[in-house]
Amino acid sequence: MSETVAAIRAEFTKLRGVRGTSLSLLLFILVSVFIAALGGWSAKGAIDSENPGLRSDFTPEQAGLDGVLYGQLALIVFGVLIVSSEYTSGMMRVSLLAVPRRGRLYAAKTAVTAAAALAVAVPVTIAGYLVTQLALGPHGAPIDASGVPRALAGAVVYLTLMSLFAAGVAATARSAVLPLAILLPMVLAGSQILSVIGATKEMVRYFPDRAGTEMLTVDSNDAATGFAVLLVWTVAALAAGYVRHRRWDA
Amino acid sequence: MIHVQNLTKRYGQRTVVDGLTFTVPSGTVTGFLGPNGAGKSTTMRMMLGLTRPDAGAVRIDGHAYPELRYPARHVGALLETSVPHRSLTAAHHLLWLAQSNRIPRRRVAEVLETVGLTGAARRRVGTFSLGMGQRLGLAAALLGDPPVLVLDEPVNGLDAEGIRWLRELLRSMAAEGRTVLVSSHLMTEMSLVADHLIVIDRGRLLAETGMADFIRRHGRTYVRVRTPEPMRLNSILERKGASLRPAADGSLEIDGMPAAEINRLAAADGLALEELSTHTASLEDTFLELTGNQEDPTHV
Repeated sequence: MSETVAAIRAEFTKLRGVRGTSLSLLLFILVSVFIAALGGWSAKGAIDSENPGLRSDFTPEQAGLDGVLYGQLALIVFGVLIVSSEYTSGMMRVSLLAVPRRGRLYAAKTAVTAAAALAVAVPVTIAGYLVTQLALGPHGAPIDASGVPRALAGAVVYLTLMSLFAAGVAATARSAVLPLAILLPMVLAGSQILSVIGATKEMVRYFPDRAGTEMLTVDSNDAATGFAVLLVWTVAALAAGYVRHRRWDA
Repeated sequence: MIHVQNLTKRYGQRTVVDGLTFTVPSGTVTGFLGPNGAGKSTTMRMMLGLTRPDAGAVRIDGHAYPELRYPARHVGALLETSVPHRSLTAAHHLLWLAQSNRIPRRRVAEVLETVGLTGAARRRVGTFSLGMGQRLGLAAALLGDPPVLVLDEPVNGLDAEGIRWLRELLRSMAAEGRTVLVSSHLMTEMSLVADHLIVIDRGRLLAETGMADFIRRHGRTYVRVRTPEPMRLNSILERKGASLRPAADGSLEIDGMPAAEINRLAAADGLALEELSTHTASLEDTFLELTGNQEDPTHV
């Protein structure tokens, strides 16, 4: 057990030192909070001027979660980079020399990915919500409004699982380019576009990001289902990554 | 001590390591020699649990590498393909390595001092020259003060001063009773540092012997002499059965007679010698011959 603790500690030190991973976490914080403020501010302007450009389903509560929805892109990059940076640089061999039990190394990396994502997701989700309400001014909603605490908790779980999903995909691909080329467009637009096409609409509901966002939808009835679907995706990606990692002839 | 037993690795149809069996003794520097592509690196990766052998096993002081608790404290390894991430600083890289094996933090500064990188401790690895990267790799290998060292082509990228420093380091590590395995594709480099020799080619063992024995058997030793009266020296030595050859620079190369004997004969005859030195020549050639002239078993 103490060897696993040592491995986890070493992974944290690595995370701090590798530029891409620490930078992507910082980017998540900045993007989320910036979008949260911008979204609240522009919505306030729209409401005040009775601008019809405001979305029909706009609620101040849901708007408070928009920031992290954009910020998640940086967190996906983080999940990919924390794994791929080792494969692309050759550092994975140094890591395997230091921690030759592959399961232990993989578990340590997964644990650190989850812990780091969780550690930034909690404060940023809450701060993002508060910033949006602050920008909305008189139109803002309180943080304990109906369904909001559950949606905020759901957002934290969603962000953490998406980071782990990305890490699993990167471990499966052993690179950064392919996972990023699939994951970023999917989250950015892909499932949105596919969800309005009749033929793919049903299928897209089971995409990891589509299903997962039910968790952070205020008053969604499918939050539990969404969680289950994203969890299955995440476990599957991590398992595939582990099989590839264990079989790798370094 | 490292025991390699019947180690075999195939990549598709190609057998890269073919039933290798040898022992790396402790207390001496063992050279692991073979031309490029002989299977040295693959063998070393299998020793360190990075690559899975198709058959056979490696025991390091009785254990398989992945079974070692905190392996960096038992085995210091340097591989050509194991390099830290570019954006890490040298000290940060060594720090996480130390933490992963519960090695005291002070060792980071100590090994940086040992390899002469103290001044570059806060620099990012991506800015390092080849030689500095190699020194950092050696620092990582030394971090856990391990009784066993496995180093793949450690002189690569080092300058002349660095190579000399490394030789001294390896010899002193061996003198402390450690096991030191060093691979190279250069015979002359090996002859300067290793006392024990393992030669492989095409994944098979060609020789496992002491360095002195290998040189005696395969190397040509001759004495170089310079004298103002080469004709007279020639007649003296030929009477005693030595053979002389004029070299391009005007000196003489003498086979089959030790330097002391040549000196004694010349002195007895009142002949002045301006140079008298023993050379071990064409070790590299002998090695190339040894590895190059093998029948290719795949063609039989």
